Amino acid sequence: MTTDYPFEAKPENGDLKTVGTSAVRIDGLDKVSGAAEFVDDMDFGPGLLHAAIVESPHAYARIVSIDTSKAEAAKGVVRIATGEDFPYKFGMYMEDRYIFAQDYVRFVGEQVAGVIARSHREAVQAAKLVEVEYEVLTPLLDPRGAVADGAELIHPDLEDYTHVPWFFPQTDTNIAHLRKIRKGDTEKAFAEADYVLEDTYHVPRYAHCAIEPHVTVSKLDQADRLTVWTASQSPHTQRHLFAEALAPLGFTHKDVRVITPYVGGGFGGKAGVSMEILGAAMATLVKGRPVKLRWTREQEFYNTYQRQGVVAELKVGVMNDGTITAVEHKLYWDAGAYVEYGANVVNAAGLSATGPYRVPNITNDSLCIYTNLPPGGPYRGFGYSEFHFGLESHMDRIAEAIGMDPVEFRRKNAIVEGDELAYGASMNPSGMLEAIDKTAEAIEWGVEEESDNPNTVIGKGLALFWKAPAMPPNSSSASFLKFNEDGSINITVSGMELGQGYLTVMAQIAGEVLSVPVEKIRVETPDTDRNPYEWQTVASHVTWSSGLAVEKAAIEARGKIFDVIHQVYGYEDDSLYLEDEAVKCRTDESFSKPLRDFVIDGIQTEDGTWRGGPIVASGKFMPEFTNANSDPETGQGGHPNVHYTVGATGVVLEIDKDTGRIWVRKAALAVDAGRAINPDLVNGQITGGLVQGLATVLYEDMRFDENGKLLNPNFTDYKIPTAFDIPDEIIPIIVEVPQPDGPFGARGVGEHTMIGAAPVIANAVYNALGVRIKSMPITQEKVAMAIIEKFEERAE
Amino acid sequence: MNLTIKVNGEEWALDVAPADVLLDVLRERIGTKSPKIGCERGDCGSCTIIMDGRTVRSCLVLAVEADGHEITTVEGISYDGISELQTLFLENNSFQCGFCAPGIVLSATELLENNPNPTRHDVQEALAGNLCRCTGYEPIIDAVLAAGEGGSE
Amino acid sequence: MVIANEFDYRRPETLAEATELLANHSGSVRILAGGTDLVAWLRDDAVAPDLVVDIKNVPGLHDLRLDGGTLHIGALVTFTDLIESDVVEENAPLLAEMAETVASQGIRNRATMVGNICSAVPSCDAGPVLLSYDTTVHLTGPDGDRSVDINDWFVGLRQTARTEDEVVTHLTIALRPHGGVYVKLMRYGGEDLAQAAVGIIAYPDHEFRVAFGAVAPTPIRSTRIEAALKGKPLDDDLVAEATAMVRDEISPITDIRSSAEYRSRMTEVMLKRGLVAATERLAGTGPAYGTRLI
Repeated sequence: MTTDYPFEAKPENGDLKTVGTSAVRIDGLDKVSGAAEFVDDMDFGPGLLHAAIVESPHAYARIVSIDTSKAEAAKGVVRIATGEDFPYKFGMYMEDRYIFAQDYVRFVGEQVAGVIARSHREAVQAAKLVEVEYEVLTPLLDPRGAVADGAELIHPDLEDYTHVPWFFPQTDTNIAHLRKIRKGDTEKAFAEADYVLEDTYHVPRYAHCAIEPHVTVSKLDQADRLTVWTASQSPHTQRHLFAEALAPLGFTHKDVRVITPYVGGGFGGKAGVSMEILGAAMATLVKGRPVKLRWTREQEFYNTYQRQGVVAELKVGVMNDGTITAVEHKLYWDAGAYVEYGANVVNAAGLSATGPYRVPNITNDSLCIYTNLPPGGPYRGFGYSEFHFGLESHMDRIAEAIGMDPVEFRRKNAIVEGDELAYGASMNPSGMLEAIDKTAEAIEWGVEEESDNPNTVIGKGLALFWKAPAMPPNSSSASFLKFNEDGSINITVSGMELGQGYLTVMAQIAGEVLSVPVEKIRVETPDTDRNPYEWQTVASHVTWSSGLAVEKAAIEARGKIFDVIHQVYGYEDDSLYLEDEAVKCRTDESFSKPLRDFVIDGIQTEDGTWRGGPIVASGKFMPEFTNANSDPETGQGGHPNVHYTVGATGVVLEIDKDTGRIWVRKAALAVDAGRAINPDLVNGQITGGLVQGLATVLYEDMRFDENGKLLNPNFTDYKIPTAFDIPDEIIPIIVEVPQPDGPFGARGVGEHTMIGAAPVIANAVYNALGVRIKSMPITQEKVAMAIIEKFEERAE
Repeated sequence: MNLTIKVNGEEWALDVAPADVLLDVLRERIGTKSPKIGCERGDCGSCTIIMDGRTVRSCLVLAVEADGHEITTVEGISYDGISELQTLFLENNSFQCGFCAPGIVLSATELLENNPNPTRHDVQEALAGNLCRCTGYEPIIDAVLAAGEGGSE
Repeated sequence: MVIANEFDYRRPETLAEATELLANHSGSVRILAGGTDLVAWLRDDAVAPDLVVDIKNVPGLHDLRLDGGTLHIGALVTFTDLIESDVVEENAPLLAEMAETVASQGIRNRATMVGNICSAVPSCDAGPVLLSYDTTVHLTGPDGDRSVDINDWFVGLRQTARTEDEVVTHLTIALRPHGGVYVKLMRYGGEDLAQAAVGIIAYPDHEFRVAFGAVAPTPIRSTRIEAALKGKPLDDDLVAEATAMVRDEISPITDIRSSAEYRSRMTEVMLKRGLVAATERLAGTGPAYGTRLI
């Protein structure tokens, strides 16, 4: 791969001062002291208006009429918006979404009208007075039903929707996109295989449950400038989508400003645009006044992106010696009512649904299917968590069937550098074998453990994972950098601090190049007027992409620093280096010029004139080696994924045979970070991602009724882990096989740490009890009932 | 209705409606932003405040109920410099997005005041009502145990 | 957050003032104690009273004391009070064991046990334990004081024997040596409503009280199982006999939380483990109070 990455800028291994250290995060004090400001904390003065949304109670219906007259007369009401005010379509990868529903509602909770009032209470009270008449239609709630012959078309105009070139909508169906991979000859390979296993796995929908709900404050000022303060992972993408969606009103990008302070958790749910468009649009109706729209926890559950459900039909063929010869993976995605973002989840999964294995014959179909359920969208793992459940369960079963140890089976087939990927490109350097070995060792794989408690049994499981960032080929990052009089640095980027430690990592990268300690580097949260472009903080890609942009900016700054020194003192650039915040010279040991002496003021020469001045720099990165070209029939031909991050997860479980209760006694997770810029932060992703992954398989259980209504939109009945629901011991393992084009060798890990959790539990449950559960979640009730069923089977 | 309330040592006199919730009054009328709106049902703990020495869910308290009472939030605890507990949270990389942090700081502060030498189970119990989606709790527990007098595991 | 419906609020300084407000107000009235149920219902629009009467300033409702052999628990005693009380720890640790399973610290610091049995949701934690303790509920109203046996307290789904004009002032429990257990089925390690619950007290001479929660419209006591156990030493056969009777005593539902079948099976498991634990605790052995048995 070719990049303009200046390899000579990297210090030798072992000479790093800042990168590779667990620097205390630079936003830590803000967060621990209560100083950290989130959007809902910001004050907008007494003129702040509040909005409340009128929602559809039906999963599928035609809107017959909307009567806002009673609501308009209610106390405190300023303006009411409906679909008539904004008859525009928009979307991230496909334009299939509306601001307010037009003519039809397609999921329970879809926004039909918005009430703007002087107080929150008045807005909520008035919203209850809006009367909507519906003609109720029969919803499609199951993806396989939605693709059956004769199924009603939820989007009959699918053919006309604008979309990115790598999507292939299937006209006259509910299939918004179909990603196919055809490689080799699976029919022949299955016929010749020594053993073939075919089965179906079910994975339901999941909710992000960031503790901060979505919230936005929007203001169109008297000069027609729209500013939106938002809790978002993607300020520039939001600006772009606001400008596109509101273009019919005359907006272009220069007219829109997005400001994003700290975000209280994203996990993908705050990527793209979900409810924020409502705030931005409604603000255009009340010029001069800021409008706040904040989601309740219930709305967080049913009207933001959800992680799509999937039914996975999987067939794998192997030889007796354990070699995988063929994979046929058909994924029916329950993608929801609007798939403008979720279709890319389907795409990403389709490209990689072989899992991290060397497979010569592949038939993969990943179908993005419209259903009358909330829109599916990006969720940590982006389709990979979903298909790994079935895939890694399946691999364990195959290993058992051919009499091979499941870890050995993985080692034999694990994809390594240079292997051909499903779409034809080549696998990047990766430490998968090291990850497998270290994980297996950490859980003492092969050593059977007996429980002391007569009520419980112990089981162990292991699963692999991989993922690549799913991004358009021109996704880019940019950075500005400037020095201050005291030698401190301000960096402006538009990546988001979601909690992963992004600001700190950027500071460490710049600090390494410029020899400035992290405590003297500020990295500012985004304002699209001031901070340069970042595509989004998703895909676990900002350490890599934004890190490269920051590194380049730092290198440019360093170059400018050396230029001034050269200009004044005559030393050659390649004899200069930075150390301890000063410029030093390899050929003159006595020379040491502190940065703070000149990075603003410049250097005075003998004749009294000055040279230099403020050191400012910029950097940008776009991966120029990647493209989304692909044959729609085979998926071959492109290089859609920049690189994969790999790893392995292992667990030791204790299970109560009577109740099905599962304790995770030990969990080990190895991930190849390339280079851990900040090991503590990587460990934070391992622990946090592992617990979130375990939650999806052990506790979280989304329940819809037969009318498409979400029955548990709250924490009482959608259980996310508490301090009591964590493994007794977590063993994080950082593998470092450098990513050649990464900043100091780094690649992303944020999503990957979730991916192996679900199958590893399924495998350990089987190991403990001999019970194979093929659907998620694997709750204690499901385990108990499965034990009972098996026991009663045996008794018969 | 008249509401007289002391927040982080400062007295306030306000006129509130009976249906005004303490969490909103603290955030919007008094300007104390650290208690957060997370779920509005008492499930997540991000609205936690200390009232008369004990943690309560400010989303489940009507403002008028707090008449005559004293409230402490993390702004009050941090005012003269952060506590040893807060320093340990920093050193242990205990928080990520930080949204749950104020509530957790208060719950842990209450625990250590009543039980200076907590076990791991005690810490989990004290924090079980504060949901955190980012960290997996482990580094939070580590910091609180370190703040205790070396409590046994 | 916002409570959309508005209401009046009064904070009486005496019990008489409180009952007068309840009796004489023309619209609907709700009593506010800890508020952890009521304020959530107000926000959810589940209730829309005209008047909320806050009884937290009424004196004399906070007492938690032992009068001779009788435990007196005031209406405003919180779950945290029960957990931190020496009187409870020494004389009725089962109350603390149950209290520790309720929600979380921040809720327990406000929520009252009396409020728990006044809200009377089918899964109320105090129900099975107070039934096992043969508790007496004391109320006052415009017509004076009266008391209600706990067995007559839960009259229907979320309905109690309290009339609209009455305020519960305190509970009394006549104590004698016992071992007790509260076994609560939850969906995970963290806080949860009971999916099924069993409260058991073992008295000397093989006398038991057995009560169930979350498996019927109200908490219920099983005098049939108690009769089957009475007077006989607890062995595996007796436990099995008692367990076999569970399904005739309970009527759990299937809802989004759990299935009726799982609830039934787990109640059998909880009764078995609970009977053993309660008996051991009577003898001064067994798992420490607060140990989760399921």
